[in-house]
Parts: sequence; structure tokens; C-alpha cells
Amino acid sequence: MILEDIGALLQKGKSKDVERLTLEALESGLEPATILEDGLLAGMSVIGKKFKDGDVYIPEVLIAARAMNAGVAVLRPRLAAAGVEQHGTVVLGTVKGDLHDIGKNIVRMMMEGKGLKVVDLGVDVPAERFIDAAQENDADVIACSALLTTTMNEMREVVTRVKASPLHGKVKLMVGGAPVTKEFSDAIGADCFTADAASAADAALKLCGAN
Amino acid sequence: MKLNMRQWADALISSGPKKPMPVLSFPSVQLLNVSVGELVHSASLQAEGMRRIALRVDAAAALSMMDLSVEAEAFGARIRFGDNEVPSVIGCLVEDMAGAESLQVPEVGAGRTGLYLDAVTEAARTITDRPVLAGVIGPFSLAGRLMDMTKIMVSCYDEPEMVHTTLRKVTDFLIAYTRAYKASGANGVVLAEPAAGLLSPALCEEFSSPYVKEIVDAVQDDQFLLVYHNCGPAVPRMIPEILSTGAGAYHFGNAVDMEDVLCRMPEDVLTMGNIDPVADFRNGTPDSVRAHTLALMETCCKHKNFLISSGCDIPPVSPWENIDAFFAAADTFYHR
Repeated sequence: MILEDIGALLQKGKSKDVERLTLEALESGLEPATILEDGLLAGMSVIGKKFKDGDVYIPEVLIAARAMNAGVAVLRPRLAAAGVEQHGTVVLGTVKGDLHDIGKNIVRMMMEGKGLKVVDLGVDVPAERFIDAAQENDADVIACSALLTTTMNEMREVVTRVKASPLHGKVKLMVGGAPVTKEFSDAIGADCFTADAASAADAALKLCGAN
Repeated sequence: MKLNMRQWADALISSGPKKPMPVLSFPSVQLLNVSVGELVHSASLQAEGMRRIALRVDAAAALSMMDLSVEAEAFGARIRFGDNEVPSVIGCLVEDMAGAESLQVPEVGAGRTGLYLDAVTEAARTITDRPVLAGVIGPFSLAGRLMDMTKIMVSCYDEPEMVHTTLRKVTDFLIAYTRAYKASGANGVVLAEPAAGLLSPALCEEFSSPYVKEIVDAVQDDQFLLVYHNCGPAVPRMIPEILSTGAGAYHFGNAVDMEDVLCRMPEDVLTMGNIDPVADFRNGTPDSVRAHTLALMETCCKHKNFLISSGCDIPPVSPWENIDAFFAAADTFYHR
């Protein structure tokens, strides 16, 4: 019951209530991994589906993700102590020359909602920074976002550099953003294109599992 | 040139063949052989670019630049300029309630707003065969640029007073700025409110539409039309909230099913859209542009109030053969 309450409150963006109930769940003896999977991530999964179906909108996703993070912050020390691992690691950023971040931020929150560790490099990220961060964090996926028609070509640079690096074959490359299409993704040799944030999170989880 | 814009819109609805009205301004850089950076800093280049476009294509109206950094810059936001890309706003000007309260409403003419007004003044003087419409940003989209777009979305729930305080100030500025366009001889404005298309209908009703309506009420009359542009994906679910703005015409983006939107719009309200500006105009071919334009018109032109357009601003380096193919396809549709 308490896990359902956590999920329901998360969907309403009630950060303080989620934090409180997460603590109560721990005190009641529930395993941290159970609270994470069946409470927080389950609630975020509902939000992800509703967003994909057009039943909730970006502000609702943002406040739900924040509530999830409030719960995760309570669990984090216990999860680490119990040796619970995240489902994979994604290095994420908006490519060099592009300062737009709301799409990238939504993708990050959706991916975190799938239990993935996301290393968010922010905006205006050059290709070498994606590579360095992927190496430092032993990442499974590099995910590039762009909003501008000119900067989307920077994705080609990231793909080319990764394929010429020791990461080739180890890290999958995802691309997305308003001007990006499947055709463009295929043309530059990326591994995956998704049209929306919820699909990006599903795809990243699958790619992490494949690694 | 003075025009009765209500009659202009009504005539478009009642006529059979209609001239297209894409959001077409930045590709003038190719006709002028200048960079985007040069264009956004020169009133004379902008006016000449609009004139060259009007000479090249038989559009329903001449549109000025949809540069959504201009008004934020007037408020003091930092802007990044690129040679071939439309300028972007950097950073966050309003971080908290104190920042919202201390935000100063700039004078019309601040930053590049004077330059943009001069461009439209000159364009309205030289382009006399069609209405000249200026471009302005919508209130929620401007507030988002001042507060940071992610932050404003969260603040709609957490700190609505801060959002409303910012909206009050940007709306006051936008009313004054739009009035200046009216005085410059423009026949109307295209008000771009894309960020509202990311909101739920309830949030749009609270944080966008009432402020747009204030602008409409302040400027729109028989001689001056406000075209509401929203290229967000949530448009079909918020048509009542969008219509509550009272704008004289509406323009929607390629994130929506245009036929679905038209079924939800009143038949006597001019409604435009929505050929993909990137996949078609920028990255397509003349053949793909023609095919998609004809397909959209086949689907939508049974609605008399539909006017074929781009879904948003056509990117600066879009090949002109694609733009020409769009106009040729529209002509073919009506005259085959």
C-alpha cells in the first residue's frame, strides 16, 4: 500500500510527501530496491506512459521527476550499501553550438525514471567531452540532443569520433531533437533515433541491457 | 498600405484558390548573399530581404523575421549570434521572486527592437501588393526565455506568483511593442507562442491565453490582425484555450495533425499550417516538398478556412528550390 501511495504522490509531483513516505517505507523494513522499483520507478513509469499518450504534459513530468529524485536521494545510501546497481549508464548532452535544454532535460528525467544513471553534460557539449565522460563513467550509451538545424550536424562529429575511439563497439549512440529524423540518424551512423523522450528512455534501457 | 485585415482574412476563407502564407523570412539571406548574423543586425537588409522574397513568391502576406531572441534581449538577456543560425538566448535573467519584481520593462526600441521596427516600417512602405506582418514573441514564450524554459515549467506549479509577475511585465512590453508595429504601418503581427504548446490546457488557460488576449484586445482591429502561432504538440487538446485569445487567425506547427486541428476549429476562423520546416523545407527535395504539400492540401483544403503554410519558421539555409516547389505545388493544387 505504501508503495502505491509513493507512486501516486510521485505522479502528482509531491516531493516532500514522497520523501517522507520513502523514509517510512524504509523504516517499515521494506528493501530499498523494492521501494525504488515498485514505488518510485513504477510511479515514474506511469507518468512516462501518460506523457507518451498525451495525457500529461512537460510541467507534470518535470515535477514528477523531481519527486522521484527526492525519494531516490533518501534511498541512495542504502542502495549503495546493499550493492544495488543501476540499470545502465547514459552520457547525455545537447551538442556543441546548441544551447537548448528542455528536451534534453525531459529525456534525462525519463531515463532516470527507468533506473538508469544519467551523466548530464548540459548544453553546448563538444564531441570530445561526450567521449571523455563515456570513458570516465564506463557508459553504455551516449545520447545527443539538438534543436537547431545547423547544430544537428555536430551529431555526425560525435558519431565519427566515437567510432574512431576505443569506445567503438562498446558504447551505443542515440540521437534526438526536433529537427532530427530516423533518416538523418541512419545517415550519420547512429545506433538509435527516437522521436520523443519516453521512447528515448525505453530505447536507452534496451541498449543498456544489450551491452 | 492600409488594408481591412478582417476582410482580408474573410476573403481568404471564401475564395477558392488561396495564396500560401509560409513563415518565410530568414531564407532571404541567400537572396541577399549575407549571413544571418548580418541580417539580424540590419534593418535595411531585413526590409530588402522581405522585398526580394515578395518579388520571388506570390504569398498571401510578407512576414518579417521570427527572431524569438529580440524581445528577451531588450529585457537584458544575453544572446548568442551565429552566422547561419537564428540567435539564441543564453542564461537566466529571472531566478526568483525578487528577480521578477525587480525586472525592468524596457522601452520600445531597446536592444534590437528599434532595428526590427525600422525594418518593418521600410517593408510596409515598399511592399504594397500584400499585407506586411511583423513577428513578435508570445508572453509565456518570452517569460520562459527570461526565466529558463525548464524552470518556468516547474514554477507554474511551485511559484505561480513569480511566473505571473514576470508575465505581467513582458505583456506590458509586448503591448507597447506591438502598438509600435501598428504605428509603423504593419498590417498585423504573427505572435509566436510555441512554449504554450508544451503546457496542459489548464496551465495554458492560466499562464498564456489571458496574457495573449490582453495583447489582442490592445491592438487588434479592422486594420490590424493578430495571427497566433503555436507549434507545440499539445495544440489539439487546448483549442478552446487558444481560441479564447480572440486572435484573428491561427497558425499551427507540424507536431500536430492539421486535419484533426481543423475539425476542432470554427469554420469561419482562418487557420494555417503545417509543412515541416526542417524535414521538408530544409532537408527535403523539391519532389518531397511537392508531394507533402499536395498531400496536406488534399486532406485539408476541404476546410475552407485552411491556408497552406509552413509549420514554423523556415530555416535560413533551406534550399530555395524547395521553397519554390512548395509554391508551385500549391498553385498546381488549385489550378489543375
